[in-house]
Amino acid sequence: MSSPVLSPRPAPAARDRPPAARVARRRPVLVYSVALLALALITLASLAVGARDLAPAEVWDALVHRGDPVATAVVWEQRLPRTAVGLLAGAGLAVAGVLMQTLTRNPLADPRIFGVAAGASLGVVLGISVFGMTSIGQYVWLGIAGALVAGVVGYAVSTIATRNTGGGVVTFALCGAAIDASLSAVIYAVLATDVQSFDQYRFWAVGSLAGRDGAVAAGMAPFLLGGLLIALILARGLDGLQLGAETAAGLGHRVGLTRAAAALTVALLTGAAVSAAGPIGFVGLVIPHLARWALGASHRPMLALSLLFGPALLLGADIIGRIVVEGEAPAGIVCACLGAPMLIALVRRARRVTT
Amino acid sequence: MSLDLPGRTALRAGAYSMTVHRRSAAVCLLLLAVLLCAATVSLCLGDTYITFADVVATLTGETGYDRTVEVLRLPRTVLAIVAGAALALSGALIQSVARNPLASPDIIGVTAGAGLAATFALTAGLGYAMLGPSALTGGLAAAAIVLAVGSRGSLSAPRFVLAGIAVAVLLKSGTQLLLLAAAPIDAQRAQIWLIGTLAGRGWNEAAFLGVFLALALPFLIWAQRALDTSDLDDPTATGLGVRVTGRRVGLAVLGVVLASVAVSQVGAVEFVALAAPQIARRLARTSRPPLLATALAGAVLLVAADGLGRTAFGDYQIPAGVLTAAIGGLYLLYLLMTKGTRNEKNAAGRRPGLGLRARLERVRHL
Repeated sequence: MSSPVLSPRPAPAARDRPPAARVARRRPVLVYSVALLALALITLASLAVGARDLAPAEVWDALVHRGDPVATAVVWEQRLPRTAVGLLAGAGLAVAGVLMQTLTRNPLADPRIFGVAAGASLGVVLGISVFGMTSIGQYVWLGIAGALVAGVVGYAVSTIATRNTGGGVVTFALCGAAIDASLSAVIYAVLATDVQSFDQYRFWAVGSLAGRDGAVAAGMAPFLLGGLLIALILARGLDGLQLGAETAAGLGHRVGLTRAAAALTVALLTGAAVSAAGPIGFVGLVIPHLARWALGASHRPMLALSLLFGPALLLGADIIGRIVVEGEAPAGIVCACLGAPMLIALVRRARRVTT
Repeated sequence: MSLDLPGRTALRAGAYSMTVHRRSAAVCLLLLAVLLCAATVSLCLGDTYITFADVVATLTGETGYDRTVEVLRLPRTVLAIVAGAALALSGALIQSVARNPLASPDIIGVTAGAGLAATFALTAGLGYAMLGPSALTGGLAAAAIVLAVGSRGSLSAPRFVLAGIAVAVLLKSGTQLLLLAAAPIDAQRAQIWLIGTLAGRGWNEAAFLGVFLALALPFLIWAQRALDTSDLDDPTATGLGVRVTGRRVGLAVLGVVLASVAVSQVGAVEFVALAAPQIARRLARTSRPPLLATALAGAVLLVAADGLGRTAFGDYQIPAGVLTAAIGGLYLLYLLMTKGTRNEKNAAGRRPGLGLRARLERVRHL
């Protein structure tokens, strides 16, 4: 996959671009149709595949007519909420990734890599184990607050670091690693006081859609839908930011306002997604690159495509986890196994240019 | 004939002579004193407070505190000293070879590789005997993968660090998968091991690491000298007739082995390897971490972390690895923000050309 941001050519003129990319950019309708179709198929598969496989007709029957009681119970009580959580969390993480990559102007930005997800985790863990919160409607606020604090700290540190040392992507990734390590240690210290939450945390910490019920989906939905809406409204401002702060200001964009709103949106989306599904990484890294590759770096198509690709990737990972390993591999781990090679590929591609 | 090197004093004994960096020597003495204080305090504090006089009396003779001091606290403190020293030395070697103060075994994936292999050993029922060898294998394999992925020919590229981060993420996911698939009791044991703790460890581990460090000593003495030349840039080294690549590989392997062995005994204690060399370097004001001071700094860090975790949180014992990760993470952020992270040598050694960021902006301006 050739992403424009890390393209091997430093200054590609339009005619130098690979023909596939040029064709794709001319046919947004085709791209959207393929993405929609893929998402629909994956959603259907997510309802059908599992410990008890159902045929598409059975799924339809259970959804609409509530025919076979067993199939109805499986679909309505287990797979539908789980799929809804996957759709929302996938969209949220992917859009958060787009916003972060634009805000930091760094192609490696991802809620997990940058430590934002760890901040949200700490918030949720504090809510559950210290304040005794039980429903997502309560601890989602702490998750969002944690994501905001971690994100702002990370952004400030990496900005200062970049200014002082001239470091780029490496500095950025290390900031994330440091924040992630510190926060994980604090999480462990909080949990060490409580054996029971520690055991539950083990399963939540890897990021998974298993066992999420309708209450979780309903609890996260308002935050995610709100965040996605703000992101779409911000699209034009983000296009401006991509040109650099000075240019954006010169073009009449309100840079400070856009940045602040985008940062808040990242916290909203990441906090809600992590509260529901745990800290899932790499959706926010991979999807923006994929969307940019398909339809270019303008934010409206990029955000719209991320809304389709993100859920498709997360649900796809969830389905793979259900099929491949006996007793289910969590979606978070499958995402990491799919995403880490992508990160490695980005690193290698970038290296080839420098050396 | 008098040798006049700035900041150094020549020592002679018969036919042998060497020069000693005066500030480094002073720093070593200082760190040694701090280490003795920290170790003594660590022996005094715990569930029962034992006075300094009683600790000394117990170590030299018989008192009522024999069990507490000699069975419970002394082995653990000695283990903290040797493990901290081994981790710190490994960090110093890898940082010097990569010419990047941020490349430590925990960041480039060695710790994660050792963790994955050890988790496999613990959850597959291979038993504690296989823990050491498998952790060593895992650490070396991870280092080889990172090397293969992140660099071509040169060890100093920043891509190396990035590749390490990516590989570490992948390895950690594998570890989590093993943990979830394992029986609860095995998973719990592996989890405790992964966090890195000295609780319940003792003379066996300390003796193993001590013997290992003693065996590594000749190599470390060689390393201290080899580091001087491995720092040279390629043309200068070729001009002087030094085989830099061979030395760099030797130094890196030594660093990875030290880290893997230490991790196999005390678990994945993070950031000691990152912080200790930089603390020693800043204290001694040398261009790269002095090895002896680094080892002492690492020992101080781990003794302090273990002592704090044991005593500072009331009824809860916080594993040393948690404290080192929390404090070390903040220290890494501080390092990133200050200007000293890339010394002049690094800056000069970098190839001219556009950084990723600059390229990104050029692409976006089109």
